[in-house]
Amino acid sequence: MARIGVFICHCGTNIGGVVDVDELVKFSSKLDDVVHADDYKYMCSDPGGKVIKDAIEEHDLNRIVVTSCSPRMHEPTFQSVIEDAGLNRFCLEMANVREHCSWVHKDEKEEATKKAKDLVAMAVRKAKTLEALTSFQKDVVHDALVIGAGIAGIQAALDMAETGKKVYLVEREPSIGGRMAQLDKTFPTLDCSSCILTPKMMDVARHPNIELLTYSEVAEVDGSVGDFKVKVKRKPTYVDWEKCNGCGECAQVCRMKERVSDEFNEGLGKRSAIYVPFQQAVPLKYTIDPSKCLMLLSGKCGDSPPCQDVCELGAIDYQQEEKIIELNVGSIVVATGYDMLDASDMYEYSYSRSPDIITNLEFERLISSSGPTSGHVHRLSDGEEVKSVSFILCAGSRDKDHKEYCCRIGCMSALKQAYLLRDHMGEDLEINICYTDIRSFGKGYEEFYRRIRDGRSNFIRGRPSEIDVDEDGKLIYNIFDTTTQKLLEVRSDLIVLVPPLVPRNDSGELSRILRITEGADGFFLESHPKLKPSDTTTDGIFIAGCCQGPKDIPDVVAQASGAAAKAMGIISREELESDPMIAWADPDMCVGCGVCVDVCPYSARELNEVMGIAEVDAILCTGCGGCIASCPSNACIHKNMTKQQILRMIDEVI
Amino acid sequence: MDLDKIGLYLGCLIPTEQYAYELALREVLPEFGLELVDIEGPACCGAPLRHINLSLTMYLSARNIALFEKEGLDILAPCPYCHQALSEAKDIMKKNPALKEKVNTYLKEEGLEYRGTNEHFHLLDLLHDEIGIEKIKESIKEPLEGLNIAAHYGCHLIRPNDIPRPDHSEDPQKLETLLKAIGAKSEYYNEKLDCCGAHIFINDQESALTKTGQKLEAVQKHGFDGMTTMCPWGQRMFDAKQDSAGQTVGASLSLPVIYYIQLLGLAMGKEQEKLGLHLNKSPVDKLGSKEED
Amino acid sequence: MSIVDLTSMAEPEGEAQKKVNEIIKGLKEDIPNDCYQCGKCTSGCEAFILTELEPHKVMALSKSGFIDELLNSSEIWTCVTCLKCKERCPQDLAPVDVIFAVKNIAVVSGKQIDSGYSNMLQAVLGTGFIQSPKEVVDRENNAVTREGLGLTPMKGPEEIAKLQQVLMKAAMETLR
Repeated sequence: MARIGVFICHCGTNIGGVVDVDELVKFSSKLDDVVHADDYKYMCSDPGGKVIKDAIEEHDLNRIVVTSCSPRMHEPTFQSVIEDAGLNRFCLEMANVREHCSWVHKDEKEEATKKAKDLVAMAVRKAKTLEALTSFQKDVVHDALVIGAGIAGIQAALDMAETGKKVYLVEREPSIGGRMAQLDKTFPTLDCSSCILTPKMMDVARHPNIELLTYSEVAEVDGSVGDFKVKVKRKPTYVDWEKCNGCGECAQVCRMKERVSDEFNEGLGKRSAIYVPFQQAVPLKYTIDPSKCLMLLSGKCGDSPPCQDVCELGAIDYQQEEKIIELNVGSIVVATGYDMLDASDMYEYSYSRSPDIITNLEFERLISSSGPTSGHVHRLSDGEEVKSVSFILCAGSRDKDHKEYCCRIGCMSALKQAYLLRDHMGEDLEINICYTDIRSFGKGYEEFYRRIRDGRSNFIRGRPSEIDVDEDGKLIYNIFDTTTQKLLEVRSDLIVLVPPLVPRNDSGELSRILRITEGADGFFLESHPKLKPSDTTTDGIFIAGCCQGPKDIPDVVAQASGAAAKAMGIISREELESDPMIAWADPDMCVGCGVCVDVCPYSARELNEVMGIAEVDAILCTGCGGCIASCPSNACIHKNMTKQQILRMIDEVI
Repeated sequence: MDLDKIGLYLGCLIPTEQYAYELALREVLPEFGLELVDIEGPACCGAPLRHINLSLTMYLSARNIALFEKEGLDILAPCPYCHQALSEAKDIMKKNPALKEKVNTYLKEEGLEYRGTNEHFHLLDLLHDEIGIEKIKESIKEPLEGLNIAAHYGCHLIRPNDIPRPDHSEDPQKLETLLKAIGAKSEYYNEKLDCCGAHIFINDQESALTKTGQKLEAVQKHGFDGMTTMCPWGQRMFDAKQDSAGQTVGASLSLPVIYYIQLLGLAMGKEQEKLGLHLNKSPVDKLGSKEED
Repeated sequence: MSIVDLTSMAEPEGEAQKKVNEIIKGLKEDIPNDCYQCGKCTSGCEAFILTELEPHKVMALSKSGFIDELLNSSEIWTCVTCLKCKERCPQDLAPVDVIFAVKNIAVVSGKQIDSGYSNMLQAVLGTGFIQSPKEVVDRENNAVTREGLGLTPMKGPEEIAKLQQVLMKAAMETLR
C-alpha cells in the first residue's frame, strides 16, 4: 500500500509568486494515497531536505512526490534525501511546476494553479506504482580516447596522460597541430603560434602514455560510459612510417611537385603528392595523397616512381591498405575543431571573382613567415605591392542568411592582423577596418584594441553592400560610415573577409557515430550552457574547443583541461553504478521477432534462440527507448516509465 | 513543356508604350507551340501603388490572378515589376489564409474568387525552364556569333529572395545561358545587378537618368556590343531615354539595347519589323554590322 | 516618454514602430526591428548616392519613435525599390518595406505626397492602368500607335466604376 508524501517547493517567487501554493497543498493532501503534504520556500536546501526526511519518519511514507523544478536540475538531490531517510531512491517522482508551469504562465496565475494541480495529480498517480530499483556495478576501462589533435585535443590528451592514464589520440590529418598550427601570431600577446604550440606537439609525440593515431578517423563507437568499444579507421599513407625518417627527398623529386594545392596553406601554396603538411609536423613522416599520386591513380609514374627510387630506406609502399584498429576506452573527449564559412557563399563580396579577396585564415598563411610567401604580403593576382588593405568584419556572421552567431574571434584577429601588417610593412600602408561593433571581451583584449585604435589604421563603422573588381583588377567598394555619416568609396589592393567559424562539414556524421547532439547552429551541444559546458548528453563523452562553439585559444585550452578532468573523473574509478532505469523485455509478451536487437544502438539486446525471446544486457542498456518504440508486441517496457503508468497519468487529467 | 497555351498579362507599360516587347512576344512564342491568350478585364498589377497603400497592390494582384484563374489559365507576366507583385500577393495569401478570405469578399463584388491554383511565369523562367534551352537552340537559324551582350535582369525579377523568383538573387545566370543558347556571349560586369533608375523617373528625372547613364556608361566602357533586358522599365530607360541619360551624366552613349525576345527572334531569322526593332531608339542596327565582322 | 530631441524639441512617438508594423503586418512577413545598425543597407542604397535616403536611419527613426521627421521628409519618396537593402540585410529586415509603410502612413495622415504617385493612383482609379496607350516615335521619328502596329486594342476592366469602388474600400479599410 502506497503512503505518499507530496512536497511543494516555492522556489522563492519562481513558483510561489505565480502558483497558489497553499491551495496546492490543500489539493494534494486530498488525493488518494497521499498521507501528508507540505510546502517549503526552498525544498532543495538543507532545511528543505530535513522537512522531507522528518515527514518520511513521522508519517511512515514510502513514495515521495516533489513538486518543484525540472528533474534535470534536482532529481539527484531529492533522490539522495529520500535515500538518507531509508527509502529506495527510485521511489521519487517529480512534478516540474517551475519550467512547465509557473515560468511559462506567469501572467495567468489562476490557470497556472489549475495546471499545477494537474501536474501534481499526475505525479501522485504515477508514484503509487513506482518500483524500487537497484543499480548494478560495472567495471570501468581506465583508458581514454581523444578525437582531434588540435590545441584542444593535445591539451586534453596531455592532461590525462600526465596522471598516468593511457590516452589514444586520433587525428585525421597526417600531422597533429590543427588550426593553431596554421596561425601566425596570437592576440593579444602576439606570441608566435607555432612557438607555443610545437613544444606541446613534441610532448605528445614523446609521451609514453599517449598513443598517437594520425591519418585516422573514428568509424564506430559502441558500448557506454566506462566501457566504449571504438573502431578507428587508419587510412593508408603508402609510406611505411616505421622506416620513414622524414628526410623529405621524396617530395623533392615527386613528379607532382608544386602542382598540388596545399590545404595547410589554405590553397595559397603548392605541394607534392607525397608530403608533410608543414615542416614542424608531428609525426614528421611522409604521406602520399592518393587523389594526386600518379602511381596510385594510374599505376604508372614515368619509367619508375622517383620517390621510390630516391628513398634509400625503402619506405614507399603502394600496396598499403586501410586498417581498422579496435580500442576499448572508458571515456571520450571530442575536440574536432571547426571549418570556416565558405566565403564564396557571399556572392556580393566577390570572393570567387578575385584572388585578392581572401579570408582571414588565408591571410594568416600569407603573413606567416613559414607561409607560401615567407610572410611577404603582396597582391595574389599579379604579385604587385600592396598599398591598401581592407578588413571586412562580420562577413557572414551575425547574419541570418549565413551564421546568426558572433564568431567571437573576428574582431580581435583582425586587430592583430592590422598590428602585424603595420609592423611588417611600415607607416605608408593604408589599413581599413570595416567593423560593426568591436568585441574585445577577453583579458587584455580592450587594451590591445586601444593600441591599434591609437595607431594609423582607419576604423570605418559600417559594412559594404558589395565589393567590385575593376578592369585593372583593383578592388573597390562603397561603405557608409555611420560615425562620420559619409558614404566612402574605398579602393584596396587586398581585401580580407573575416568569416565566422562553422562546424566541421562532417560533424553531423560524427555526432551520429558518437550519439551526441548538435545544437541549432550545428556545433556539438553541451549538456548545460552554463554548468556543464564540456558534458554532452551522452554519459562519458565530453567536448572541448571549437567543435562546441567558436572560441579563442585561452577558452579552448581551459575547456580542454575541463573536459580532461571530467573524463578523468570516470576513468579513474574502479566501478560505475549503472542506471537501473532501463528497458526490459516481458518474456510472456515477447515473440522473439528480433526487431529490438536490430534497433538497439548499444548492442544491449540479444536473442535467446532456445527460449525464443529477447534478452537485455542491463549493463549496456541506457534506457534510450528505441526498443520500446519499435517492439510490435508491446513486450519492451521501460522501468518506472511503463505504458500503463503513462496512460494512468493521462487519465488523471482528461 | 506541358504548356500549350498561357494567359498573357502585360500590365501597364508594355501595352501602352513598350510595343516592341509585345510585338516580339507575339511573334516569337507561338513558334514554340505556345498560344498566347488575351482575356478581358485585367488592370494594373498594383505595384506602382505600393507607395500610397500596400493593400491596393495586394488587392489588384490578387484580382488579376483570379481573372486568369477563372479562365483556367496560367499566366505569362513579361514585366518583372508585375511578376513580382503577383508572386508577392500569392505568397502573402498562402501564409495568411484569413487575409485571403478578406480579399475574396472584395473580389466577390466583381464576381471573382482567388484560389491560387494557377501558376505565373516571367519570360525568363518560361524560356529557360519551361520551353528549355534545347528547344531554343533547335530554333536558331542565324546564331548571333561574335556578340558580347550585357545581361540586365531588372531588380524585381530576382529580388527579394524571400518570395519565389525566377532566378538567384545574387548570382542569376539564366539570362546568360539564354544568350549563349542563341550564340552570343555574356561577360560578367560589376553593375549587373544595379538599378536602371526607372522607379524615380516619375518624381526625380535627373536622379533617374543619372542611374541610367551610369550603368550604360559602365556597360559601354566594359566593351559590350549591346545590352539585353527582359523588363519594359529597364528597356524604357536604357533604350528610349539613352540620349537624355547620356546628357545627364555627360557621356556620349551609343549602346544598342534590345529585348532578349527580340534577339531570340533575330536569331530565329524573323523579320526585324515584326520584332518591332524599328521601335528601339538605341542604335540596334550596330548589332547586325558587328555580327558580320 | 522621458526622451526629448534637443535639436528639434520633438518627442518620440511610442506607437510609431507599432504603426509601421500594422501596415506591414499580414502583407509582409512580420517585421521585428532588431536592426543593429551595421549600415550595410545604406552602403549599397541605390538612392542614397543621389538623394541622401538613409535606410539605416529610417530603421532607427521608426524604431525610436521619431517618425514625424520621416513623414515630413522628401527623401522617403526617393526610394528606387531596388530591394538591395532587403536582400542583403544580415538580420533579414526590410528597410524598403518600412519605407513603404512610412509613405502609407504619410498618405493617411494627409501629408504632402509626391504628385507623381498621386497621379498614378488617379489614373488607375480612372482607367485601371497607370497610363493609356501612347503615340510613340520610331527610330526614324515617325509617329506610331498601337493600332498602327497592328496590335489589338487593350482589354481593360469592364466595369471601371465597380473596380474603383472596391479599390476605395480596400484602401480605406486596409487589408490585413
